[in-house]
Parts: sequence; structure tokens; C-alpha cells
Amino acid sequence: MQVGTQALRPNVFAKHLVARSHSTKKNRRTILAALSLTSMVDMFSLLVIFLLQTFSTSPELLVMTKGVQLPVASSGAEITDAPILAIAQDEIFLDQKSVGTVVDVLKDPKGLLAQLQVFRENWSKAHPNEKFKGEINLQAHKDVPSTVISQIMGVLPSQQYGSIQLIVTSGGS
Amino acid sequence: MASANIGGGSSGRRKSLDAEINLVPFIDLLSMCICFLLMTAVWVQLGSVQVKQANGTEGAAEAKDTLDLDVKFLAENQVTLSVKSKGRVVKTYQVQGATMADLATAFEKQVQDIQAQMKSQGEISAVMLTPKAGVSYGSMISIMDVLRKNRLVNLGVVPVNPLSGG
Repeated sequence: MQVGTQALRPNVFAKHLVARSHSTKKNRRTILAALSLTSMVDMFSLLVIFLLQTFSTSPELLVMTKGVQLPVASSGAEITDAPILAIAQDEIFLDQKSVGTVVDVLKDPKGLLAQLQVFRENWSKAHPNEKFKGEINLQAHKDVPSTVISQIMGVLPSQQYGSIQLIVTSGGS
Repeated sequence: MASANIGGGSSGRRKSLDAEINLVPFIDLLSMCICFLLMTAVWVQLGSVQVKQANGTEGAAEAKDTLDLDVKFLAENQVTLSVKSKGRVVKTYQVQGATMADLATAFEKQVQDIQAQMKSQGEISAVMLTPKAGVSYGSMISIMDVLRKNRLVNLGVVPVNPLSGG
């Protein structure tokens, strides 16, 4: 932006405004508002430092399932990439797809086991020279009865999913 | 605009060096940084508690010099701790608290006492948790969290039929 032939810089602009006010209407008082940029830059810098400190380079591996409120634990380890079995208060999901109600799956877990088998076979096809690790992420609502979780966990090893990672929210003392 | 007057006041001939820093691109850069960092920020930190579930004969008992710990829920805020050596119960403790937080505190103290007492007989290698109907998953995680904090990371959960009442 240009004022006359000079580039617009705050002190040049301020001088220009003062000069204009003197030349045009001498009776009217000039209200000259100067924007202090220092405090704004300070605030921006602090924000950037804070956000850089909290910045995480690890990718988000988990998609939170609707209706699942995770329990809190302070000793949570890092999450690895694995299929996500989510247990809401009345429904079970495998990688965001509904498997059935909790009651139905507990009565007859064949549907869940068949889907787990598909996941395992796909993994084996994708990693032909590797041994199946049997890892699965279990996201469960914190108010679900522990017996329901134990029952679900009990059927997982039959499809060679023996390493179960219970997903928690990091925090607490 | 930020400016710095560097000398040149005394001599009339000398030209003053009035350096000005243009803050506009700096503010632009900071704004872009803030936008990027806000968009990529992860506000909910997730972690995992690893549990090993044995399949059939995988968990076959073998004579070993280490101890095992059985944690059995009796109620939401009451548990029994059994120390096992070679499959036999050596000692049993009962821990309870008015709330889940009290139980976790008392449980942690008891686990630390057991670790100190049983140091001569070997380290606790595995912990099996037995849930009970009426005990929430959140409570089970609280107990697991205490165990993990005390370096007991080899955890397992006994499958209990929810309809049997534990």
C-alpha cells in the first residue's frame, strides 16, 4: 500500500495522518490510534511455543467410537496399530462396524470370531513372511461390567488374538 | 513498526542508521504456525494397558521360582490378593476402601508390602485378575494401573460369565 510515493509504514503513516489533519480541518481534534504490535507478537510467540511443546509427532491410530467413554490410567503405554474392538454399553463394533449387541455376541460370538479371522487372514496376506502378532486394541466404555470385558477377552485367543491392548485415557495421578 | 536507532546523533555529517524491522511477515508466519499447530494438535492423550490372554495349553503351569499374584474382586471397592508359589497359595490379603480411589491407595500400599515381604522368595512374575458382576471395567483398569505402576506388567484376566454372577 502506498501513501503518495512512500510505502505504508506505521510511523510514516502516522506522520501522514497528522499532516493531513493539520492541513484540512484545524478546528477538529485528531484521534490518532496506534496499534501496539509488540504485545500481540509476544502473545503469538507464547502460543507457538506452547503448541510446539504439546505437539505430538506420532500419528493418531485410533478413531474414537461413539458412546465409548474410556477409563483413565496414568501408566498407559504407547498404542500400536491393530484392529479396534470397541465395546459400548450395549453394542460391539469391530473397526467401526457393528458386530451386534453385547448380549447377542456373548450368547454367540461366532460372528465376531469370523470377522476376526478375516482380519487375521488379511494381515497374513499383507505380511507373508511375518508371524501373526495377535495384537488387538480394545476400547471399552468405563461403566461396562468387567465380566462382559473378561468374557469378550476370553474368546479372542481362539482366533490367536492373545495380546490385548486395553485403550485408556492417559492422566490421573 | 519495530525500529532501532543505531548511533549517529552527535556528528551532523554522519548519516543515522535507523533500522526498521518489518513485523508484518513475522506476524503472518506466527499466525500460520498457530493455525497449523492448532489443527494438528492432539488434545486427548491415549495410552494402552497390555494384557496377555493364554489360549488353552499355552498357559500350562510349569515349576518356576517366581511368584504369582491373584487379584479377585469381591465388590466394587473390595479385593482379595493371593500370593501363589508354584501354584499354591502362600498368603492371602483382603483390601477394601470406602471409594474406588481409597481402594486403589490401599491396594497400592498392600502390593508394595507384598513385594517387600516376598523379595527373598522371588519376584512376582504374573498377575491374574478375576472380575465380578457389578464391578465396572473402569475399576478393573484402576487396579491394573496400580499394578503397572509397581512394575507388575504381566497381566491376565480370568474370563467370568457375566450371567453366573462371578
